[in-house]
Amino acid sequence: MDLECDLLVIGGGMAGFVAGTIASNAGISTVVLRKGQSATAYSSGAIDMIGYLPEVSEPFSSPEEGLTTIAGLYPLHPYSIVGYSEDVEPSRVVAEIVERARGTIAWLKKYLKDTAASLIGSFDYNVHPITVLGTTKPTCLVQETMFSDSLQQNEDNVLLFVGLSGYPDFNPSAASKTYLEDRISVGEPPRKVGRCVLEIKPFGKSFNLSSIEIARHFDHEESIDDFAAQLKIQVEQLGASHVALPPVLGLRNALMNKKKLEEILGVQVFELLGFPPSIPGLRLQTSLENIFKREGGKLLVGHEAVGYNRMEDKVTSVTVKAPRRKIQINAKAFILASGKYIGGGLHGDENGIRETIFDLMTVTRAYHSASGILPSRYTNRLSISPMGQPVYSCGLTVDPKFRPVQEDGMEWASNLFAAGSILTGYDYMSEKSGLGVAATSGYSAAKSAINFIKEVA
Amino acid sequence: MLLISSRRLLELDENEAYEYVKAALNKELIAPYRSHELECINSVESCINCGLCINHCPVVAAVGLDRFSGPRSIAVELSRSPPEFWSAADIVYLCTGCGTCREVCPKNVDIPEVVNLIRARIFEYRPDLVPKGLFMVRELLIEYSLAFEPWEDKEEKIESRNMRLERLALPLVQDKVLDKAEVLFYPGCQAEERAQEVREAAKVILDFFDVDYTLLEEMSCCGLPARLIGDEETAVSLADKLKKKVKSLGVKSVITTCAGCTGNLSYLSHHFDWGVPTVHILEYIVEEIGLELLRTVVKKPSNLSDVHVTVHDPCHLIKHTSRQVMEHALNILRELPGVRVSESEAYDSCCGGGGLVSYHSKEIANAVVEENLEAITKTGAERLVTPCPLCTAQIESNLFKSGSSVEVDDLTVFIAQRLPKKE
Repeated sequence: MDLECDLLVIGGGMAGFVAGTIASNAGISTVVLRKGQSATAYSSGAIDMIGYLPEVSEPFSSPEEGLTTIAGLYPLHPYSIVGYSEDVEPSRVVAEIVERARGTIAWLKKYLKDTAASLIGSFDYNVHPITVLGTTKPTCLVQETMFSDSLQQNEDNVLLFVGLSGYPDFNPSAASKTYLEDRISVGEPPRKVGRCVLEIKPFGKSFNLSSIEIARHFDHEESIDDFAAQLKIQVEQLGASHVALPPVLGLRNALMNKKKLEEILGVQVFELLGFPPSIPGLRLQTSLENIFKREGGKLLVGHEAVGYNRMEDKVTSVTVKAPRRKIQINAKAFILASGKYIGGGLHGDENGIRETIFDLMTVTRAYHSASGILPSRYTNRLSISPMGQPVYSCGLTVDPKFRPVQEDGMEWASNLFAAGSILTGYDYMSEKSGLGVAATSGYSAAKSAINFIKEVA
Repeated sequence: MLLISSRRLLELDENEAYEYVKAALNKELIAPYRSHELECINSVESCINCGLCINHCPVVAAVGLDRFSGPRSIAVELSRSPPEFWSAADIVYLCTGCGTCREVCPKNVDIPEVVNLIRARIFEYRPDLVPKGLFMVRELLIEYSLAFEPWEDKEEKIESRNMRLERLALPLVQDKVLDKAEVLFYPGCQAEERAQEVREAAKVILDFFDVDYTLLEEMSCCGLPARLIGDEETAVSLADKLKKKVKSLGVKSVITTCAGCTGNLSYLSHHFDWGVPTVHILEYIVEEIGLELLRTVVKKPSNLSDVHVTVHDPCHLIKHTSRQVMEHALNILRELPGVRVSESEAYDSCCGGGGLVSYHSKEIANAVVEENLEAITKTGAERLVTPCPLCTAQIESNLFKSGSSVEVDDLTVFIAQRLPKKE
């Protein structure tokens, strides 16, 4: 049985949901298709815009500074594309690029307000939240539960890292050492850190605990009170002014729990950035789903795009497969936000790197064909380096309207747009720009698709 | 120990060599994969061991990772050498088979099928590790070709049916077994022997819309419970038995009211060339009968007042078949006058009734359903509807035990109640 809609978005991660929500909000009947959880669900739950220039180890102080630099150096970067559209005057190129990103950030903050992933931060400066390893990273927005505005302000601040007995994903001892070394090397407060391990028993046991159990445990009212009582002793002993917890404060009630702890303890409490798949990542994923549905979008879960029909220069339908059913979805426009290697939008093997649904042209960061690239040969020996991993820069190249182009530089179809990590021209790991590019390109692709649908209609 | 010389080994043809190697491996308690298992085995190769599935598993949510180590640990079992499968016996029987892990997995690793595959290996080589409760089901399956013990006294069965019809104000449509019908109505074991009102309600609907249907002369199980036990042999023989019946009837499709049967018959059709599709009655109503027609005939019966319902999505429909099936359910409910629907926060969360878990670890099954009960109560709905007799029974008995006033109806019954009397 066929499904009809104006816009079909393939992929339910950051890019897909931003695009889908904007389209639904504009009155476009939109279906978001999702075959599995996205890389967004793996994220730390913080929204990176741009942390570093590739190969440079000093971070940008603000997304604005980063975007301005990127706009000049990399005109084909997914952030830069909007500036090089025909209708943008040459003098406005950088402003256009910066404004689009700024607008996206404002949009995200507005739409995710009052969800389980409500965001805090500004386009005007990067913040440097602490990870569970005790390192810091530059990012633009963090979830409110991860935010502390005063940690690095006062010379006398004392930070307490709190671990949980039987929870292997966070080692407060290692994290506090790493963090303190970092603070000493930059010569900034806090100058004193401490650590402790507390005990909680989600199922009557304090061993073999996972993040999700702890988060669900804290979602139950009252469980945070017991925890606060234990923590209070430690805070007073150390004289802590700030408390860092692994990101497990709850799926639904995390912010309430943070506030409650702060009230009881009289200190600032925040969550660290965690390993994938983190609880804040899950909160972000769920919240994006919810705002999309709230705007009237239809989410089709458990269906994978497996084929398409095309007439002349337009895609007319996409065939999607559930475990035991196949349906055809007819739409006026399509946004491909199917992700990279995790999401399955790109596939790399001994035959090269290819786009999995439409077999679109894939390119490397240098805009050579990636169809013959061996993924294993396209990596650096050092897994985490400022150089990034070239294989992560492969993807689709698009025109200023975010339509994938083919070898001759012309769009592959007039109504197919692409957004998110499937795009080439950037390396989210070294730049720290993953969710920012996803959101901004999703925003832009949606605008183009909406214009296209309205023009056709 | 080699049974034949290496020279002789070189002279074997392919089949002989296969049998020879199989026999040798059998001594080591290693069985080769069967062809229909390969799709699942291959999917495990793409597991990136991320553990995202753990965040979504309803059994982990209900009892914790220490009691049930979660889908990831099951998926990675397949990277161990086969005789070690049985070390997973303490967890692999606690999986309710809901399919959430496969659905959230970015790589769609077929973990629910891995569970069945491991259970099959354990059943074959270490039956002592299979929970005893499962052998009771197996005995029923072997003796009666049904997952529930049939009524001893046929009169009592009829009496029970009539009482149900009377309570639900449903008319009686006589059973019919035809030679050349277009579709087969297959109620499944539970509606056949226990929840008879579901079987009756489906007949009311099919009869009302003049669907050319037939029942089986003798009902027999689709084999899903045997597959969940790990008893491959019984599963295959039940499936073959049913396939023969379906084929000899020459029907174009099979309609069922059971979510498990829908999923399993669709699975069988896919893997074993049945050539006859199976659809849930909800799909049949929307795709064949049509919502337009339904809209013109349904009316609010005078004996029923306005009702506020919430819906539970059975895993076997949404995660093993297609989420669109429940979209149909909502579209049908929209056409029914006097029915208001509120979405439950746990509408698609497993009720705990699957995977035969309740046959040996009832406390786990009942811990899983807790989340549903809370969410159902929160909606303020007075009634829960769901298109699966198993979910109906599991949720109904647990709501009752918790002292809730929310009533539960199988959706097929709920729809049939809102059709006018046939002229």
